[in-house]
Amino acid sequence: MAKQLKFAYNDKEYTLEFTRRTVTEMEKKGFIAAEVENKPMSTLPALFAGAFLAHHRFEKKEVIDAIFAKLTNKEELIGKLAEMYNEPIMALVEEPEENEGNVSWTASW
Amino acid sequence: MVSDSLSDESADEGSERENRFASPFPYTEIFYKKFPYYLSIGMTEEQYWDRDSTLVKYYREAEELRQEKFNQEAWLQGMYVYDALARIAPILHAFAKKGTKAQPYVEEAYPIGKKKMEDAQLKKERAKSQKGVRYMQAYMVANNKRFEERK
Repeated sequence: MAKQLKFAYNDKEYTLEFTRRTVTEMEKKGFIAAEVENKPMSTLPALFAGAFLAHHRFEKKEVIDAIFAKLTNKEELIGKLAEMYNEPIMALVEEPEENEGNVSWTASW
Repeated sequence: MVSDSLSDESADEGSERENRFASPFPYTEIFYKKFPYYLSIGMTEEQYWDRDSTLVKYYREAEELRQEKFNQEAWLQGMYVYDALARIAPILHAFAKKGTKAQPYVEEAYPIGKKKMEDAQLKKERAKSQKGVRYMQAYMVANNKRFEERK
């Protein structure tokens, strides 16, 4: 099951999700995932709006902006949205299952 | 970020900054690159692009199972061919004795699955014990006959 973010706003249930098509659309509109880390404040609204494309494609921009303005805990939100955005690609380039041949590593910090 | 590693094919050339955004659509490229494979294993265009993005994992697992099954079937078919050849081998011999006959083709399909394997084993054991019983009966009859003759 793909990662989804659910909430209710003005008595309407919302499900945010990314599909391969919506990720492709976002990239074609100029969204660059790598910038989420460096420019979170400018990319977060675009990432948030992009998450509506899968299930609420025709939601008005004003509504999306209003929801975004009212959302709490935005720091955590950006992490969750980034995870969701990466899922369509991660499912394709998934690590092999644990076996004796795999090399594992640990970081010291 | 994943996009860094995905767009890093030419990482050897130039600075990291230059290569970081080598492709403006790093995810899209991967999606299109992998698309034919998933079509080939039965995923529809809609499932790949618009449905649950984790569905690809299950399609990959299903494909592995399919390949395993196909391999088992090929192996089994090979076994039947090998068996059949072994059974007709005596008559294929250039210097076979006159009257040599081929063994009949295997009476029933090889048992596959736990239940069938157990049934086959039981059948084999029963046949073996029946043979023993018959041998014992024949031995007793022969012994009895011998005793009667002595009387």
